[in-house]
This record gives sequence, structure tokens and C-alpha cells, in this order.
Amino acid sequence: MADDKDVLRDVWFGRIPTCFTLNQDETTEREAEPYYLLLPRVSYLTLVTDKVKKHFLKVMKPEDVGEMWFEYEGTPLKWHYPIGVLFDLHASNTVLPWTITVHFKNFPDRDLLHCPSNSVIEAHFMSSIKEADALKHKSQVINDMQKKDHKQLWMGLQNDKFDQFWAMNRKLMEYSTEDGGFRYIPFRIYQTMSDRPFIQKLFRPVSPEGNAHTLSDLLKEMYPAAIPNEGEQKRYQVVIHGIEPLLETPLQWLSEHLSHPDNFLHICIIPTPSD
Amino acid sequence: QPMSLSVAPAQTAAWRRQIFEQLNERTKREIDNFRHYEQAIEQSVWVKKGTM
Repeated sequence: MADDKDVLRDVWFGRIPTCFTLNQDETTEREAEPYYLLLPRVSYLTLVTDKVKKHFLKVMKPEDVGEMWFEYEGTPLKWHYPIGVLFDLHASNTVLPWTITVHFKNFPDRDLLHCPSNSVIEAHFMSSIKEADALKHKSQVINDMQKKDHKQLWMGLQNDKFDQFWAMNRKLMEYSTEDGGFRYIPFRIYQTMSDRPFIQKLFRPVSPEGNAHTLSDLLKEMYPAAIPNEGEQKRYQVVIHGIEPLLETPLQWLSEHLSHPDNFLHICIIPTPSD
Repeated sequence: QPMSLSVAPAQTAAWRRQIFEQLNERTKREIDNFRHYEQAIEQSVWVKKGTM
């Protein structure tokens, strides 16, 4: 039988097979072949696509190359969401590999943040970790760490080093026995059919009576439509890292084991596909 | 003293079993047929050779 520690590895080493194709409107000197990659679910698009950029630049003139951005079936992909979240939200239940269109012009400023360098991704990643720790431990753990410890978290993600990352991240996952969990659970709930980027509110892992809150308790409060009524067909899938945990799963356990490296539990609510 | 919700396998609850199973299925679905694809992040391997 698997151990809870194995879940951390499975989450970290999750990959999405992806086929990158160049947008047809780009000006090229010869035809651009598609480029295939296994993308880490827990990383960010702009952090892991140097090879994609290099590949397509071979067929383009430098003057035709603006900032690279990605699109899936008409939706610009937000690099500041983890790759796995983008896939689960926009493309789960589709045939693999995931086909992403690459653009080098007409950057959609209204939809996407600019990402001129990896330091922008690092700043975004670290600010998410700090926000999560403010919710979990009133920032006590992250503030007790040194600059080099923060760097270790980032370098672990950037270089896909599980052990390096978790040697430090385990401190962000601790809590005292008497508390029974974090102060609040850092979570974000994403939905496709909404102008709202995501739902994020304060929610405790344990009820005032001392009972462990479950995924069901969270959804009842944040997104009740995601819980099917008795005898009713399931209208939504509640997806975390490409799987659908049972609604009775304790929220504290989910936060410790299925959070992304940014320390947030990213939950996608997608309409159940009608076959 | 840090605490964890980890339990012995004998006590494995349905929700936990279901997560393990689904993660295995995810690996089959998303990785096993695509192992010939290039990894986005190269793992540099350092081999240290010594004569002692």
C-alpha cells in the first residue's frame, strides 16, 4: 500500500504531455514543426518553455518576434497559474497530448501579465508562499526562514529538485497537535464560466466543535452547486491535480499533500462532460 | 510537536485509498504513453570520478 509521502512525489512529478504549434498568423521563413514536451504540472509555462521558444525562433526573423505567449482553443493561458491548473481548468477530458498554440505577436494585455524574466515568476511564486504562510501560521514560519531558505524553495521548483524543495517546504507544513491543523487553509477555487479569477476566502480546517472539515464542507460554503443533491446527476467535477478526491477527504490532509509548491490548494470546478 | 494525519496502512480510509488509486491512473493516462517525450526541465547529472 502506498504511503502519504508517495503522494507528495506523485504530485511533484506529475507531467502533461504537450504539443506546441506555432500560430498560423506568425511570419516565418519556413514551416514550423510542432514541438513536444512533458510539462511539470506544478511549474509555470514561462518557466519551462525555453526550448519551445528556441525551437520556433529558428524559423522566424528577429524583427517578427515579440513576447511569447500561449493560447488553448482561443483562451490565452495565464502563466501565473500552475500548468496543472491551466490544463485541468481548460483541457481536462480532452485527448492527449495537450495542444497549445504559441504566439509571438498581439500580446493580449487585458488577459495576461507580462513575464519579461524568470525573476518575475520567482517574485510571484514567493509572494504566493508568503500569502499562504500568513494564512497558515500568521507568517511565522516564512519570516523565521533566511533568504537562502527562500532561495532553496525557488531553486527546488526551478530545477525540478523534489528533495531540495521539500527539505524546506516541510517546515511550512507543520502545525501543533493542539491546533489540529493550520490556522486557515490556503485554497483557490477556479471555474471556467466566470469573470472572477478565483474564489479565495478564510476557511478553517477544524470546526468550532473540533471536527475536521472536509472538502465537502469547504464546497458547501464556497461553491454549493458543486455538490450533487441526492438522486441528482453530478453536474460538476471537482478536480485537484487531475484527480477527483472524495468529498469526505479531510481538508487539512489535502492542504498538506495536494497543495502546489506555492502552498495553495488549487481546486478546479469544471462542468461534467456530457458523452 | 508537529503532528500529521498520516496513519498506518491497516487504517487506510476510503478517501485515502481512492487518492492513491486515482494518482496511479493519472500516471498511466498522462505519462506512461508519453515517456518518449522530452522533459521540459533537464536533470543535470554530475558524475564524480575519483581514483582513491
